Amino acid sequence: MKRIFNGLFYILKFLLLVGSFGLTLFILIRMNVRLDKDMISILSQLIPFLLLFVVFIINMIFKQIGVTKNLFYNLTCCLVFAIIIFVGYRAIFDTNMVLNQKYGYGIDFNYFDNFIAYIRIMLYGLLIANILFMFREKDKNVDKSKELKKA
Amino acid sequence: MKKILLEYANVFAYTFTGLIFGLAFFLLFINFYHMQELAQEIDISEYNINNKMNVQNKIETIKNNISVYDQSTYTGTLNTYGLNTVKIKLQSCLDIIESDSLMQYFELNEINIKDSYNFILDYRNEILNDCLVMQIKSMQNIDTITSLPDFNLISPYIDLNVSSVLTSTDYIQNNIENSDHYNFSTDANKNNFFNLVNDSYSSTMNNYINTLDMLVEISNWYRSIVVGG
Repeated sequence: MKRIFNGLFYILKFLLLVGSFGLTLFILIRMNVRLDKDMISILSQLIPFLLLFVVFIINMIFKQIGVTKNLFYNLTCCLVFAIIIFVGYRAIFDTNMVLNQKYGYGIDFNYFDNFIAYIRIMLYGLLIANILFMFREKDKNVDKSKELKKA
Repeated sequence: MKKILLEYANVFAYTFTGLIFGLAFFLLFINFYHMQELAQEIDISEYNINNKMNVQNKIETIKNNISVYDQSTYTGTLNTYGLNTVKIKLQSCLDIIESDSLMQYFELNEINIKDSYNFILDYRNEILNDCLVMQIKSMQNIDTITSLPDFNLISPYIDLNVSSVLTSTDYIQNNIENSDHYNFSTDANKNNFFNLVNDSYSSTMNNYINTLDMLVEISNWYRSIVVGG
């Protein structure tokens, strides 16, 4: 059961990462276009997404089971990305927020802007946790079973 | 040594993940709560019935007061240009008050935050700007009106009220616009301090009725000088 859930969250976290990155990128670009600001200024908001993606790829390539088979970590990743998508959705579609109507941009930048700090905190937190999970003692039982098989 | 360090790394990793997990759940719950709070609808049918009657009575009073003057039958000694101008200005205000865009708010049985917000915007644009500033306040700059009897008595009253109602809805509008931010308004908080939907609507309604009271006073003054002069 645990393995099934872990597999599910492991796949889901990649999909949600792409979705949350896409939505954040869309809103930030619209925000900068409105203000006529240089697009380079949004890079700092996107770097944690890219770093996390790179780390996920490293986890996958080097089969770091400390991360890939960590149900709690995968669940937290899914939750964080799902919330970023939920906030992006609300910024665009929640018409009860009156500033969306007042400024007429179709996106409540004011609301989303409040959330950017939380996005960065959560993504950098996941990144640090991921790096720490990479350092893991070798599983002696696994080694022993391999030696037994060889024998 | 290496083993201890690895264990510490693992402990820290779980701590970080736990903190992020907690923060993520906190944001999830507060977003759901915030979304629900903004989607709240409040029944104001009974409140609106009373308000509608009250406003209609005041409108009738103003109509009766300004109907005492008819240029074709007026035989008094007062400046007819001044009397005509006052009547036209009060009539313009009546037209604005009786317009569909404002009367629609008395037909609502339930309101949400957007209704409260739109009511403030319409009140400010139509009543405050188009009626009070453009019509009533401008009377003080027209010589034929200022020379009418007792205008010097009603003029400070206009000044005081206009300056008061012009800014009295600022904080309500700001409150609603700031509701896009997260806040921790609980039910107890809403009952004791300020319910964003209900109190915003009733505060604006109070301002609206105060403005009508001022128009009634001006029309009373108008009636008294027409009948007396």
